Amino acid sequence: MLRVPLTRAICLTHSSRVLVTASARLQSNIPAKAPEKVEVFIDDQPVMVAPGTTVLQAAAQIGVEIPRFCYHERLAVAGNCRMCLVEVEKSPKPVAACAMPVMKGWRIKTNSEMTRKAREGVMEFLLANHPLDCPICDQGGECDLQDQAMVFGSDRSRFTDIDHAGKRAVEDKDIGPLVKTIMTRCIHCTRCIRFASEIAGVDDFGTTGRGNEMQVGTYVEKLFLTELSGNVIDLCPVGALTNKPYSFSARPWEVRKIDSIDVLDALGSNIVVSTRTGEVLRILPRENEDINEEWLSDKSRFACDGLKRQRLITPMLRKPNGELEAVEWETALIGVAQAVQNAGDKVAAVAGSLVDAEQLIAVKDLLNRLGSELLCTEQKFPTADGTSGTDFRSNYLLNSSIAACEEADLVLLVGTNPRYEAPLLNTRLRKGYVHKEQDIALIGPKVDLSYRYEHLGNSSSIVQDIASGKHPFAQRLKSAKRPLVIVGANALSRSDGKAFLAGLHSFANQLTPEDKNWKVWNVLQTNASQVAALDMGYKAGVEEIVAAGPKVLFLLGADGGAINKDNIPKDCFVVYLGHHGDNGAPLAHAILPGAAYTEKQATYVNTEGRAQQTLVAITPPGMARDDWKIIRALSEVIGTSLPYDNLDEIRDRLEDVAPHLVRYGRLEENNFYAQAAQLAKLQASSLQGDIDVKQRTLADFFMTDSISRASPTMAKCVQAVKKAQATA
Amino acid sequence: MRIRDLAIYFGFDKLQRLYQDVKIHGGLLMAIQKFRRFDDLKSGRLIGQDKYGNKYYENLYYFFGRSRWVEYPEYKNCEMDGSQVAPEWSGWLSYRTDAPPYADPIKIYTKYKWMLDHSENLSGTKHAYMPYSTTKPKIEAWVPKKDD
Amino acid sequence: MAAKEPVKRVIQQVRPILSLDRDEARRRVLNLYKAWYRTIPFIVDKFDIPKSEEQCKSKLREMFLRHKEVSDVRVIDMLVIKGQMELKECTKQWKQKGHVMNYWQETVEPKPADFLSKFMSGQN
Repeated sequence: MLRVPLTRAICLTHSSRVLVTASARLQSNIPAKAPEKVEVFIDDQPVMVAPGTTVLQAAAQIGVEIPRFCYHERLAVAGNCRMCLVEVEKSPKPVAACAMPVMKGWRIKTNSEMTRKAREGVMEFLLANHPLDCPICDQGGECDLQDQAMVFGSDRSRFTDIDHAGKRAVEDKDIGPLVKTIMTRCIHCTRCIRFASEIAGVDDFGTTGRGNEMQVGTYVEKLFLTELSGNVIDLCPVGALTNKPYSFSARPWEVRKIDSIDVLDALGSNIVVSTRTGEVLRILPRENEDINEEWLSDKSRFACDGLKRQRLITPMLRKPNGELEAVEWETALIGVAQAVQNAGDKVAAVAGSLVDAEQLIAVKDLLNRLGSELLCTEQKFPTADGTSGTDFRSNYLLNSSIAACEEADLVLLVGTNPRYEAPLLNTRLRKGYVHKEQDIALIGPKVDLSYRYEHLGNSSSIVQDIASGKHPFAQRLKSAKRPLVIVGANALSRSDGKAFLAGLHSFANQLTPEDKNWKVWNVLQTNASQVAALDMGYKAGVEEIVAAGPKVLFLLGADGGAINKDNIPKDCFVVYLGHHGDNGAPLAHAILPGAAYTEKQATYVNTEGRAQQTLVAITPPGMARDDWKIIRALSEVIGTSLPYDNLDEIRDRLEDVAPHLVRYGRLEENNFYAQAAQLAKLQASSLQGDIDVKQRTLADFFMTDSISRASPTMAKCVQAVKKAQATA
Repeated sequence: MRIRDLAIYFGFDKLQRLYQDVKIHGGLLMAIQKFRRFDDLKSGRLIGQDKYGNKYYENLYYFFGRSRWVEYPEYKNCEMDGSQVAPEWSGWLSYRTDAPPYADPIKIYTKYKWMLDHSENLSGTKHAYMPYSTTKPKIEAWVPKKDD
Repeated sequence: MAAKEPVKRVIQQVRPILSLDRDEARRRVLNLYKAWYRTIPFIVDKFDIPKSEEQCKSKLREMFLRHKEVSDVRVIDMLVIKGQMELKECTKQWKQKGHVMNYWQETVEPKPADFLSKFMSGQN
């Protein structure tokens, strides 16, 4: 079972101290050869399983769930909680189901007297060392120990404190502003340790001491410095690791849970939004094997308190004396409409990073009716002659899909730091690296990706060398079976991004992977709105708008700083349409408050081109309205009503423009790779300078958009990380 | 029948009383002014005065309940309210005691040094107390900076 | 078991409330209308409402015509009884001015129908 070469397993860890190395028994998804199946009997039901399957997995196949604390499907097997003990016929002792591979003809009894007694015994020992603080514990209601104690726990305790020494108690650890630790509750399942070292790639956690003295912790007090730290909260089966910002705010049975989509990075992770009393209390990941498995990055999970601060809740108009004044919707719409009517066709719109597809199509329809084509996104994307770069979807998508990234055998990252631009893509790459012999190379500044990679340098001439086949790495890519070229959207937004696109794209097309359907060319977007905007025909980059000098400019949540006071004409009437007062709102002459992603049913397309929709978790605050409805209402005041009144009608319109935008959850096939590359090649220019990435360290990760910039938790994280880096 | 009884019979004594009252208040103009303020024209014995300038009168000619009254000071004009009466006079004015505060043997009102000074009821004025919410708003709105 | 029994078709003989047939019901309605019509000057006078006799009469007509589709004799009777109760409350002055003015007040605010007014009022 040992798939990881020993040399690599040893040098996996960057940190000097390794408290407990994870069990080397890592599982693989690809068996070498389809072997014969073996038959085992679980509670006298026959089941055919592949050899090497554990008892627990075999039982799960026929729907028998064996209680467990330490076992987790996505982590290595530890086998130390002993809760999954089952009886195997002719075996004198009970067997730990999570770690024991089945043998032919085994008869496993998951419900026998012996099994039950074994579980009750384990439970009694666990409870003897566990505090009775369920009423004040945040895990209450979603606690594995609580649930299983209801089944296997005794109705009375044999724990007698004869010496009045008290129960076992452990000092709490401070591991950062996100995860709260109450270490007395820990049952030493080591899930958090395994997560940190296997998935997150930081060996910060470990155990010290043995027996009753055993403690899980960081040995010396330090922060749990990773972008995935929130996941240990979900993993912890008890209340030892809980959500610090959410602590003591609600019980799981009180909250309303709404399935939604995360928009703070371009992956579109599936989330569950928990709300109560009209507030978003916390965000949890929702399982989706194609995108986020069951993890969630810290920004997506903890930035939700930013939804309550710095909000735009009333329409505003700038008075003649230069101050913004709250007004009624009617006044605001009429004010904007007058400006638009006076501007003729000199109207433009810039889409920011959090804009949904409905709003994009409404704005596009409105501006086209007014006779303007000045629709742009904030982030640049190279275009050959002004339009063609984004004509083909394959140019700007992560074509090979997120899930397939772990299957690649050679990955070239160009101008991107996936660890912070798309943390869950990075876990995929790390998974491929750890389990599947994936090799990774990076062109760009040297950053910590949580796994080892070949650093080819940060000069853009290397890109040129690879594109022309001169660089030795080009040969390796050519000989690879499943090569992958992932280019960061920020690298392509450089002024010489055209050359990046042309060179690398045509080079990627020359590669002949084993699988004909394998896609080599991938772009990692950073903005949730970018793909939908480009799909709809928005132009990337604001140069055209700046050059045109519009009289009315719509900022659709454009807080990225591409538009500022200096690059728009003085007499330009700026309308800000969005949900947060951030960089864009102070420029505005009129502010129309919109809804954030938890407050509307809206379509977002992620970096692999998968359309997904958010659902309404809470109502927009104050007088804020659904964004596309604002545009629709404005169009009526201007006098050119848009032909849709409700969500179904605007989705019909979306379908007319781009049918994939309403096929939710599906991944659309892309083609025209050769043609796209050809077009891009037509106007290739030369590359200059070094390649840089925007997010180099963890401190750059937390605050990247208007929601996370408004979040006090994210601000605390940045401070904590900076402090830790200063002292380290 | 004496003339006086005859006058009482025909109610002329009331006119006489009115004449007396007007005279006591210092002439017709002064009396009208008094009447404008208090809707009444009564004359009685001045029992005392409190530190706010309220004057307390008694005239047992009037029936119990109307026989003691307060005249608010001039500077209050028509802004008069029962709560402007000083607390030590309240007992005498409402017949809880017959002795005025400066000569009260049972001391129904004692001023201790820890007591706050009396203040009148401010309801209906701009100084009236207005309850306000002390809970934190769920959504913190963005406030535009003035210099932008 | 009960389901297997044949369904008994019973023509239910309803008990009349007041009227035995439509003609009688019609007469009662007309009588009520006349009674109201004659009372209107007194209502305008006594309750001091800001409405003229003509307005009251048109309102009366409107209130009666609101139920013109009703054909069930029992329902008509019930409405007549209710109308009489209202009338008595007016003549005996058990109602007050506000109660009388309620006849002119819409009980339900009409919901916004077009997109823009729905948008302004924040309704979907």
